Amino acid sequence: MAKLLVVDDEANIRLLYAAELSDEGYDVVTAGSALEAVEKLESGSFDLAVIDIKLKNESGIELLQRIVKERHTVPVILCTAFSCYKDDFSAWLADGYVVKSSDLQELKDEIARVLAKRQKAAYT
Amino acid sequence: MDWECCWSRDHIEADHCPYVGEGEEDLLSSQRRRIVEKCVECPRFKNDLARMKGAGYPLSDVLPYILTEFQEQKAQMGAMLSFLNSRTREIKFLREVGLVLQNSIDLDEVLSIAMTAITAGKGFGMNRAFLLMTDKERRNIRGYLGVGPRDYEEAWRTWEDISRSNFTLRQLARDFQKTKLSSEKVKFHDILQQLTVPLADQGHIFNRALRGKKPILVENALNNPDLDRGLARILGVDTFLVMPLISRNRRIGVIIADNCITHKPITLQDMQSLETFAFPVAFALERASLYERLQEEVAKQKAANLKLREQQELIVKMEKMALVGKITSSIAHSIRNPLMVIGGFARTLLKGSSADDEKRSYLESIVRETRQLEEVLSEVLDYSESLFPVTDYWDLNELVVKAMGELEGVMNGAGVACRMELAPDLPVVRIDYKQISYCLKTITTTALSAMELGGELHVESLKDGEAVLLRVTDDGKPLSETAQVALTTPFFQTQELGEGVGLSLCKSILERQGNSLTITGRPGGGNTYSIRLLTKKETI
Repeated sequence: MAKLLVVDDEANIRLLYAAELSDEGYDVVTAGSALEAVEKLESGSFDLAVIDIKLKNESGIELLQRIVKERHTVPVILCTAFSCYKDDFSAWLADGYVVKSSDLQELKDEIARVLAKRQKAAYT
Repeated sequence: MDWECCWSRDHIEADHCPYVGEGEEDLLSSQRRRIVEKCVECPRFKNDLARMKGAGYPLSDVLPYILTEFQEQKAQMGAMLSFLNSRTREIKFLREVGLVLQNSIDLDEVLSIAMTAITAGKGFGMNRAFLLMTDKERRNIRGYLGVGPRDYEEAWRTWEDISRSNFTLRQLARDFQKTKLSSEKVKFHDILQQLTVPLADQGHIFNRALRGKKPILVENALNNPDLDRGLARILGVDTFLVMPLISRNRRIGVIIADNCITHKPITLQDMQSLETFAFPVAFALERASLYERLQEEVAKQKAANLKLREQQELIVKMEKMALVGKITSSIAHSIRNPLMVIGGFARTLLKGSSADDEKRSYLESIVRETRQLEEVLSEVLDYSESLFPVTDYWDLNELVVKAMGELEGVMNGAGVACRMELAPDLPVVRIDYKQISYCLKTITTTALSAMELGGELHVESLKDGEAVLLRVTDDGKPLSETAQVALTTPFFQTQELGEGVGLSLCKSILERQGNSLTITGRPGGGNTYSIRLLTKKETI
């Protein structure tokens, strides 16, 4: 079972992600801040992280940069309200990107795609 | 003694003196005036003097001397009076011309009065005159205008017309400006063209006249080895006057005047009169030229001001939009997350509900409405985000390929094929990559909405002078004019297109950077969306 870390400062959104993604068969761990996310990443091993770009008083992109810098191998999917972040260079470090929506299908598809890609890379 | 002449009588009758004419009747009763005006010239008086001498009158030897001296003095007085009269006429004429020259700032009016004054019989009466002026760069003297007849026939016709018209000089000049000025400029074009002389050519007669600030009279030019015969050949006369036009030590130009038709000699007095006249002409010409240049500069300034005002209005508009953007962004952000939670859990509940659950339709409504709200929010957020561009130099073709690649799925779904025609070797454009990418995608999506039956979408890039054009053409239903306006006005609603900010946002984004977006309907159906991107920074 793939283990996911969901980072969002909104408790209800964390709850929604946890419910929906657990239904998809993932092991979901949530974090409400960048600090909590880093702690959880350091204490356990994750197959993927889903990070909101706009965290309270912090930036999801900074967290992403930190993850890359600290050589965490976990792939990252960024979630945001802005569709145009897709073309932002700093967001290009992420493995995937989705626009936040009540329809989580796009996120689920993206998680499946990134995990499959990672698995394929591990085999080769 | 019984004298033949009436000099000895106080009063005479009209038949006593044949030299007292009509209108001079007062001389009959004025002995003194009669003697001075008539008797001194009268042959009868001369006879009386001879008789006096014969009779041994003591003053008869002296009187002829006095008489001769008196006659000489009288002749001299007459000449001086005539000279004074001609001078008075000239001053009157110069005053009339000077008044017009002083008041006029219209170059054509100044030219008309000056050239008419030189060539009209009521003026200096020269047959022909050429005006040459120094050019703006102050490098050459150039032929500017010629006035006068080209041949005898024309001369005869023109002078006949003028003598019949009885116009004053001022009226003549006005008539000339209205009816002849433009044709005269053309008439002597061949001669004027040959009269260009560099100001640096110190030996040329024009420059000599300008340097000496004095007119030069050229006589017998074709037979005088000291003179340049070229000018005489161009003018077709061997006697002409070169008059320098100088105002405040500034070389304005030269007037050449001649009597090419009558071949009347140019007198010293002609020269002096023209010299007096040249000063106000030079001054008026300089002032009118300066005024003309000033007008040109004013027009340029006006255009620059207009552009500046437009830019300012655009900035104000943009600032307003930026403010709207900030407010909407803030509202949209605070709405987005709760909306996501509502819609998300509604979907979760919907998934878990059985097909016959009567509450299912309520959940479906929540899902549908939140999706619609989310779509509106996306547009609003895209709009506010796009107001802060980061520009750099980009290859437009690369951007087009990438953006259209992202829309491949949407286009396939709509049954639309994309044909790209991208010009090679396009210059790089200074743009915000994500904004232009957004614009292209928005335009494509808008175009797709007009292609309900599928078809072909043509995307092309090409160079257009200093700019690069990106054109998207659909073969769908042509948009009405209202729809075209609606597309570029935020939240403008039409039945055809619904409501939104898409293309209006693109238009603002492009205009902010000095670029543009235009939409045109094609006669055969379809619409063309053209983005014009500058390749270098725009300057005012």
